[in-house]
Amino acid sequence: MPFFDLISLAFRNLREAKLRAALTTTGVVVGVAVVVTMLSLGLGLQRNAVEQFQDLDSFSEVHVFGRSLFSLAMPEKVKSADGQVKPTGQTVGGIPVEKIPVRSLSDGMLEEIKKIPGVVYVKPNIFFTAFLRSNGRTMMKTVGGASVPDPAARFKEFSAGGMLSDPTAEEVLVDEDFVRDFGYGTPSAAVGRTLELLDPSADAEGSARPGDVRVARTYRIAGVLKDERDGNRLRGLLPTANVFLPLQAARGWKDEHLDSLSRVALQLARKSGSVGPGEKFSYTTAVVRVTDPSALTSVRSRLTELGLGSFSFADEFKQMRTIFLIINSSLGLIGAVSLLVASLGIANTMLMSILERTREIGIMKAIGAEDREIKLIFFAEALMIGLAGGVLGALAAWGIDETANRLAFSFVLKPQGARYVEFFSLPPALWLGAILVAVLVSIGATVYPASRAARVDPVTALRHD
Amino acid sequence: MAEFLETHALTKTYRAGAARVAALCGVSLAVREGEFVAIQGASGSGKSTLLNLLGGLDQPTCGDILFDGSSIMPFNKTELARYRRHSVGMIFQNFNLIPTMTAGENVNLALAFGGFSRAGRNRRAQELLGRVGLAARVTHKPSELSGGEQQRVAIARALANGPRLLLADEPTGNLDSTRALELLELLREMIEREALTVLMVTHARELAASFADRLITMKDGRVISDSG
Repeated sequence: MPFFDLISLAFRNLREAKLRAALTTTGVVVGVAVVVTMLSLGLGLQRNAVEQFQDLDSFSEVHVFGRSLFSLAMPEKVKSADGQVKPTGQTVGGIPVEKIPVRSLSDGMLEEIKKIPGVVYVKPNIFFTAFLRSNGRTMMKTVGGASVPDPAARFKEFSAGGMLSDPTAEEVLVDEDFVRDFGYGTPSAAVGRTLELLDPSADAEGSARPGDVRVARTYRIAGVLKDERDGNRLRGLLPTANVFLPLQAARGWKDEHLDSLSRVALQLARKSGSVGPGEKFSYTTAVVRVTDPSALTSVRSRLTELGLGSFSFADEFKQMRTIFLIINSSLGLIGAVSLLVASLGIANTMLMSILERTREIGIMKAIGAEDREIKLIFFAEALMIGLAGGVLGALAAWGIDETANRLAFSFVLKPQGARYVEFFSLPPALWLGAILVAVLVSIGATVYPASRAARVDPVTALRHD
Repeated sequence: MAEFLETHALTKTYRAGAARVAALCGVSLAVREGEFVAIQGASGSGKSTLLNLLGGLDQPTCGDILFDGSSIMPFNKTELARYRRHSVGMIFQNFNLIPTMTAGENVNLALAFGGFSRAGRNRRAQELLGRVGLAARVTHKPSELSGGEQQRVAIARALANGPRLLLADEPTGNLDSTRALELLELLREMIEREALTVLMVTHARELAASFADRLITMKDGRVISDSG
């Protein structure tokens, strides 16, 4: 019998027992709704957590550490007395020897890192503190370097203005704290205004008299970076800065303004030969951006081979995934129990229906129905119950999720001033999967009843009443 | 004329508790194509059992059935289902129509098992019901039809897939004498027109004798007389 005829026959049979079909389907609806709601809660929790990590660029960045200037100045700290590198397994200051960077993060090293497959770019971290003057006020602020363009998340949103126009432009980016502290009423009022970096007037003793402060550089404010929405100003591992100069400009400044301790360290390192004569030492850490999170592991192992230290949040994320797997499994299990109950309902309905339709089955056999066709009729009924229950259950779950999300927003998040969060996440794979599972469970629950139907003996079924 | 349907020492025993009850004991018959055979006997004489075996609804304990020269004994369940579908039509005393389906749908169902297309089925169901004089009753449910009409729907359904053998198990048992007469006339007509062979189990000996070509009498699972 063609499939379409099976379906229409099954539909007719269900219509003949409307109430029973409706009740059985309701069982499936409840089962599916519970499963989907539970899993969407688990997925929602997981997605929110993952998104927070992604906001921090945690899955696309590796933080790489070179040997610090101070350790280069004191080679004995890593090497033992005879000048040999300490064997692995030993620790220095609580850090395993093999994890301590043995190479410094020179410009040449950055070039090598760039060549690692999966690396998009590598950007040295340059931060320093400086006195700035703008809008007639002078303050001390942290200054960082920005590549142009810079794909890091912190350079994505602007309150006013935009990104630095060129890697060599005489422009800066400032944050909203800067706008407030320097008395600009609004972010847009700051855009286009000038910012000066102050330097002591060079005199023989290195001391500056009041009024002798020199304006070392003048920049135009190109854009105001938008504050992080929940006040979280940490991106990845790095502190943020109030002002960002083009990377090369920031680096130049840092090279020229090493503090006295660093200057001593640099001299010692040059003397011992650890640092070449012309080599600058403006950074010991860098951010390596990878094409996608799957490249993290291979990039990190290559960095270790190069003798550098590295860190990424992806390792933390692996543990988080295990935790969510447990949460989701537990929630799914609760849902599975309700689906199991629904499947018992289906099996019961089908068995009842076979008892009622014994004669009908006998008739169908007498007029030439094969056992297979009898089974298929019952499977077709199960398919329809499963499909209807699955679709309605998914719709019900969607309704529950939406309502819960909105209630949570109106009564919990909004009063706290937080943004809208989807506590329940309902991706298409979940509801499509749930419908599929409902159909499979329904068909599974019908295996025994259908084989019983196929075994009906036509002679007994048709015996005169 | 070649033998169309043969049985050889056909035996069917049932287990009733510890005892074995023989419903049929070594029945050997030969039926020619186009014959109208009436089988009569008291209840429990084994005539319905014989019909069920010939119709492939049941399987004998031993013996052989040859349909058109070949044995149906080696048939598996699916082959038996196909034999029932295409080679045999059956009608019953209580009609055995599906009560929730109309006359047309009942015939249609048999055609669906026979693999007819949807359009072909509707046309053929209409035509079959026309042949038994029920063209106007296609959309009536069995409960809206008289006994005689229901049995005609059953005949239309039995003939749906063009069988050459019609097995009738007391088809007139639930009909009054006028309707019974009409039904037997219809069966007779079908034999002439459709080149059908009919085996009919009946209680109505006189009526059967006047329509059938041959009268077989059974008792205790054996054939005790055969007019052929």
